[in-house]
Amino acid sequence: MTKTVAMEKMLNKADLAAWMGKLDSHRLFSPALEDEDVWNYMPVEEAAKVLLNHPNTVRPPKGFVFPQREVLYEYSQVPGEAPVLNETLPDPAPAVVFGVRPCDSRGLVRQDIVFTKEYEDPYYQGRRAKVIYVGQACNQPPSPNCFCMSVGGSPCAEDGLDVLMTELDGKYHVKALTPRGSELLAKGGELFKDAQAADKAAVEKAHASAKAHPQRPIKDLGKVAGALKANFDSPAWDEMAKACIGCGICTFLCPTCHCFDISDEVKCSSPCKGERVRTWDSCQFPDFTMHTSGHNPRETLGSRLRQRVCHKFLYFVENHDTQQCTGCGRCVSLCPVGIDIVSVVERLGQP
Amino acid sequence: MIDVAALKAHAKSLLEKGSVRAVIGYRKSTAGLLAEPATIADADATDDLIFDPTCVQNLALYLVNDKKERVHSRSDDKRPIAVVAKGCDSRAITVLLQEKHFPRESVHVIGVSCEGTGVVDARKLAKKLDGKKALSVNFDGSEAFSITTEDGAQSIPAAEVMAERCLECRSAHPTLSDMTFGEAKSERALHAPFQAVKHKMKDEQDNRWAFWARQFDRCLRCYACRSVCPMCYCEECVVDSINFAVLPDTTADEKADRIKWIERSPARSETAMYHMVRAIHLAGRCVDCAECERVCPVNIPLRLLNTRLEMEAFETFEYNPGSDMNAPTLTSSFRDTDPNSFIR
Amino acid sequence: MANAVETAKDETGFEPKIVAFLCKWCSSAGSDLAGVSRLQYPSNAVPITIMCSGSMSPMFVLSAFNKGADGVLVSGCHPGDCHYLKGNFFARRKIYLVQKLLQFVGLENDRFRMSWVSAAEGVKFAGVVDEFVKDIKKLGPQTRLKAKR
Repeated sequence: MTKTVAMEKMLNKADLAAWMGKLDSHRLFSPALEDEDVWNYMPVEEAAKVLLNHPNTVRPPKGFVFPQREVLYEYSQVPGEAPVLNETLPDPAPAVVFGVRPCDSRGLVRQDIVFTKEYEDPYYQGRRAKVIYVGQACNQPPSPNCFCMSVGGSPCAEDGLDVLMTELDGKYHVKALTPRGSELLAKGGELFKDAQAADKAAVEKAHASAKAHPQRPIKDLGKVAGALKANFDSPAWDEMAKACIGCGICTFLCPTCHCFDISDEVKCSSPCKGERVRTWDSCQFPDFTMHTSGHNPRETLGSRLRQRVCHKFLYFVENHDTQQCTGCGRCVSLCPVGIDIVSVVERLGQP
Repeated sequence: MIDVAALKAHAKSLLEKGSVRAVIGYRKSTAGLLAEPATIADADATDDLIFDPTCVQNLALYLVNDKKERVHSRSDDKRPIAVVAKGCDSRAITVLLQEKHFPRESVHVIGVSCEGTGVVDARKLAKKLDGKKALSVNFDGSEAFSITTEDGAQSIPAAEVMAERCLECRSAHPTLSDMTFGEAKSERALHAPFQAVKHKMKDEQDNRWAFWARQFDRCLRCYACRSVCPMCYCEECVVDSINFAVLPDTTADEKADRIKWIERSPARSETAMYHMVRAIHLAGRCVDCAECERVCPVNIPLRLLNTRLEMEAFETFEYNPGSDMNAPTLTSSFRDTDPNSFIR
Repeated sequence: MANAVETAKDETGFEPKIVAFLCKWCSSAGSDLAGVSRLQYPSNAVPITIMCSGSMSPMFVLSAFNKGADGVLVSGCHPGDCHYLKGNFFARRKIYLVQKLLQFVGLENDRFRMSWVSAAEGVKFAGVVDEFVKDIKKLGPQTRLKAKR
């Protein structure tokens, strides 16, 4: 996706529903309450009810491009004959996702690296090409544990987004960042007015004030990788993971975590028929690294915590020159026992 | 009122005398309001110990984890480990002892009283404070919590922000302990026992299925409910893939014929299986610490599912999990008077 | 009883699949007796012999529903008749709990059943299955716990 000259427009808040109405060639999603206190990206049923005043959603929007279950192919075999494989590449209807927080879209950029840089994953790409992300700058931190700026992001970061919306008094400042984003704005037609100098000043002010909210700092981000490497054998890993229960919350709800398992789901044993599926997996689960022999190289919770933190702040940096953490704070807020990645990095990621 | 200084001093003296390997307790967390479980082996660090209504976790889990860890580390340190236990935690320890998960002498239970209230429900509290961030929560007599925010301290009736399970708690005071801190207040009966589950049972069956289907559909299968449960100590869980070694010479037929109880896919049928297996496996073992429900990131009311069978255990079989470590367990015993009329 | 097979066909043509877990010492022999006595009863039940109703894992019940059973039957020896003295008493408690759980989650009550059938009760076995099939026909196929395959 090459960037063109950014197009900046203004949209009255009251016209958001009208704009959504003009996008009916796409499936629309926006953050909504899935259940009491559970914010998730849900299909837009009534555009007039979309408020875009959501806190951080429980699930990041990664499922649109990397669903928890993806069928890779179907297979069948009649005894004595060669197995028959039937590839099932996804071809979803185009979708627009509204209200994406900048941390989550930066997560998407990291998913892109994993699924397209060295190996082009057709399942991921098939979905990625069909989803347009409309971001929303965070005027107020959407979670008490936000630390996007400490990992090189910002509450108004644009990476990974097609459009960035910023809420101003009664209006949205809407900035198209990609050709797909511009097309989306063009569909709104008359609803959008060109942004004037005063609007641009107001947006800059809103962004500056958003950035001024205090966040938990990570000192010397550039030195974290080296320090983690030096502390690989530190007993502090075990100590900090003492409380860990080994669940998958921190990884399943992380906008950048992308590990998966591949398994066969047998639908019928005679004749043999089934699907090979890819499902999310987590380095925190005991069977993640279990060998067939029964040996488990990451037996302890400490080694699994180390894997999670080092993958994000050391290995990914070594391989792709950027952190694989975007500071959304989900793993901190939702951890049942208060394991806090910022504290861990503070303790073991400082020289 | 519970004397936390005395609790710290007791923990410190245990460690100084070397009579325990470590003390499992609570300390302040950097991640938010709720306390974090801490395993303290150094006498000087006992000063970090706290006990207040933010100490929600069931620490019996860490006795189970400690046992696992010791198996792998092949440690020959035979000293007991000390654990801070609320009423529900002590019931969980009793169940573990009853199931002979570890011997009584391997654990030193430091009982703590919930002071006639219970622990806080962080979601309820956040709603009550309407955006203001609570900095601390303390016991304030038997009916209120004292809560500090940036605006100063205020007193909130405990029943309004208490965890659901505490409202229905039948025995708030530790039933098993070597040393107890705080007042023995167990009388409270804020809600009738099993009130929530009885209310749900009044629903039509089709509505109940619609309700549960909606809950199962949003399950992430992160297994936090299983991981946090002290009773879920199986070495291998039906949802894990550990026993399904697929070798290069494993044929398609072998794969197809292998029993796979539950697929990894987060489909409704598979998730329903998972939660029901857990519920039935907890029958007569669940002490209603409700940790499974608390940790669920998508708010699935798991407590409701598990207390359904606890209600049956209590009301039909007069069985109260965690009340007697020498009694036979619910499903390893029977009576001639057990219900028979449902059988044809 | 004689025309049980005929009544098993209804307008929709729905034939329930019933998985019957039968104790080797009683109900399994009871079902054999029903067969050798040439009693006519619906052929919808797939028998799986288990060593004792007490060996019945709740997992088997859930798994049968997951794999598409329209009904599950567990049948053991009458109280006092257990080959292993008390296995059926354990089963009674366990199956009672399973039933309550299934009902609470919202599976139709009539889909899960337990019976006491001795080796001499071929007629009773045929009756239990006949009645079960009739009740399940009223409910139609089981969709709630069935995996999509």
